[in-house]
Amino acid sequence: MWQQVELALRQSAHRVLVKLASFLPGLVALLLAVIVLTAIGVGLAAFLRRTLTAAKFDERLARNAVAPISDWSPANSPTELISRVAFWACVLIGCFIGISAFDAAYPGDSQISAFVLPYVTHSIGAVLLLIVGTVIARFLERSVLIGAVNAKLQYARILSLGIKWLVLVLTAAMVLDHLQIGGGVVELAFGILFGGIVLTLALAVGLGSRDIVSRSLERSTDLRSPLDHIPGDPDYKAAATPTETLRHF
Amino acid sequence: MASTQTNVDLNSAASAGTTGGLLVSLVALSQEAFDITLNNLSQAFPDETVLVATPDVAPQSPANSLRLLTYSPTNVSTTPWILTAADYLNTFKVAQENHATACVLLGPEAQSVQPAAIRALAKSALQSDLTLARYELGPREGLVNAAILYPVTRALFGTRPRFPLAIDVGLSLRMAERLATVGQRHTSAGQNDALLWPLSEAASANCTIAEVDIGPRTLPQPVASDLNAVLAQVAGSLFAEVDAKASFWQRARGVQPAHPTVQSALLTDSPSDITTMLDAFRLAYTNLNEIWSLVLPPNSLLGLKKLSLTPPENFRMPDTLWVRIVYDFMLAFRLRTINRGHLLGALTPLYLAWTASHLTLISHGTAPEKHIQELAVAFETDKPYLVSRWRWPDRFNP
Repeated sequence: MWQQVELALRQSAHRVLVKLASFLPGLVALLLAVIVLTAIGVGLAAFLRRTLTAAKFDERLARNAVAPISDWSPANSPTELISRVAFWACVLIGCFIGISAFDAAYPGDSQISAFVLPYVTHSIGAVLLLIVGTVIARFLERSVLIGAVNAKLQYARILSLGIKWLVLVLTAAMVLDHLQIGGGVVELAFGILFGGIVLTLALAVGLGSRDIVSRSLERSTDLRSPLDHIPGDPDYKAAATPTETLRHF
Repeated sequence: MASTQTNVDLNSAASAGTTGGLLVSLVALSQEAFDITLNNLSQAFPDETVLVATPDVAPQSPANSLRLLTYSPTNVSTTPWILTAADYLNTFKVAQENHATACVLLGPEAQSVQPAAIRALAKSALQSDLTLARYELGPREGLVNAAILYPVTRALFGTRPRFPLAIDVGLSLRMAERLATVGQRHTSAGQNDALLWPLSEAASANCTIAEVDIGPRTLPQPVASDLNAVLAQVAGSLFAEVDAKASFWQRARGVQPAHPTVQSALLTDSPSDITTMLDAFRLAYTNLNEIWSLVLPPNSLLGLKKLSLTPPENFRMPDTLWVRIVYDFMLAFRLRTINRGHLLGALTPLYLAWTASHLTLISHGTAPEKHIQELAVAFETDKPYLVSRWRWPDRFNP
């Protein structure tokens, strides 16, 4: 009986090793494709950077105020943006080629790429969604903060953080939905969280702007009582004229 | 009216006292304002024939020898309080079509310009390429010009005119053409309301520049009451102009002769606006410090921190601090350290702090014009800092 146990173990170990051995060429092909295309991406990005810098692409684009691309990626110039896009495009193509090569090298009818490739595409879309959402959240946070500070709102910081987290929560929900993770649980959690943030902001704005609303109402009514002016009184002096208006321009 | 030529052009062949080939260009005015302006023009030029171009409907029988020309502007500006690219372009087109040798462009509220001032402007326009008006303002007026526009243009372009964005301008035909060329670039991109900077154009083209005292004049105010938006428009335009003319202002040049300073009235009361501005600055210091730290070096941030703790009666922003703030913001504008809209929005509270400091200073007895001239000197003195950081931004990154 022990001989049969030993035989079974030897045979299963052999099968696993054979499967691993057949898996390795595909894996090496995948890694090679990614590495080669990454190297090509690095070269292409460097070439684009040099060419566009020599052609003064940033300066030409800056003159055209209709296309403020660099305003959306403030730390980078348009040249840098284009070179990075080219680099990451090559890396992505390398991943796709690698997965196809892995599928081709893997024996049998498993058709791995038939279900891996669509999921990789979804993952790339999710990553792009996350990047765009984060950029938009940062931009809106700063815009709201500066606008609220210049409007002399005391709760400027809370407002800007609220806007930022609103956008981030929305982005996270979209990413998870795109990856088909969580399903109904994610939707419910997003709804609760989003509603909570909106309610918090509404309370903060409503409670914080009581003074502003009351001042606005006071300004809209005429407070000059006719009793201030006593007609026919020779000793009456009119109230002092208001101080000279401040003129910035 | 006093007139000072700040550049000398030995080749100038214009003769004084004649208005031959002069075009006076008006912007759109109300009927009453237009009639008063025509009356002033006829008093300014009683014996000469002057062409007056207006987009308004001209009266059937114009006063005296004024030749009225109604034109349909091809580019319409929607910014009524200041001269824009569209105004300069329209003026040049009319001047070119009517063979004028010099133009006088009178901005909004032109009915408040006295006949003697118009005549002085016209006389100077025939002798110099660019003539800018100098206005008599109170201590609480023209603060953006005092804080940023005048000191920056004086320090970087070596020009002395007190109001770089004057709305009453005298132009020779070549200067009008130069400004029209610049304006054309903006209007063809749909930016009729873009601001032009005649001083920097004249300085970079080595044109003659003069300044004429206009005296009291009603200066129109921006329609939009949001200081943030208007300051962003004006400061952003100036910073873009400085960026475009970098190769010119980085070369060292001499200082032009000084214009006699006009002492404006002292501030006698303690304005409540200062408290509002200080509150705005302190609120901004609490919330925008991390944004300012992306633009300003540690020294400036320390100075702002000390300011935020200073009591209102002693609130005094050193001129050197304000100079560094403006120069650092200019650099950040060029380098796009942060989004340009955000950058200019973050400048507003700092400008309010300077304004509060200026008003506090003059309420303690300092003459406003004296402080403004000292500030301009501080900008000139610290120009090497800007040049160094402009050329080697990576070495001085905060």
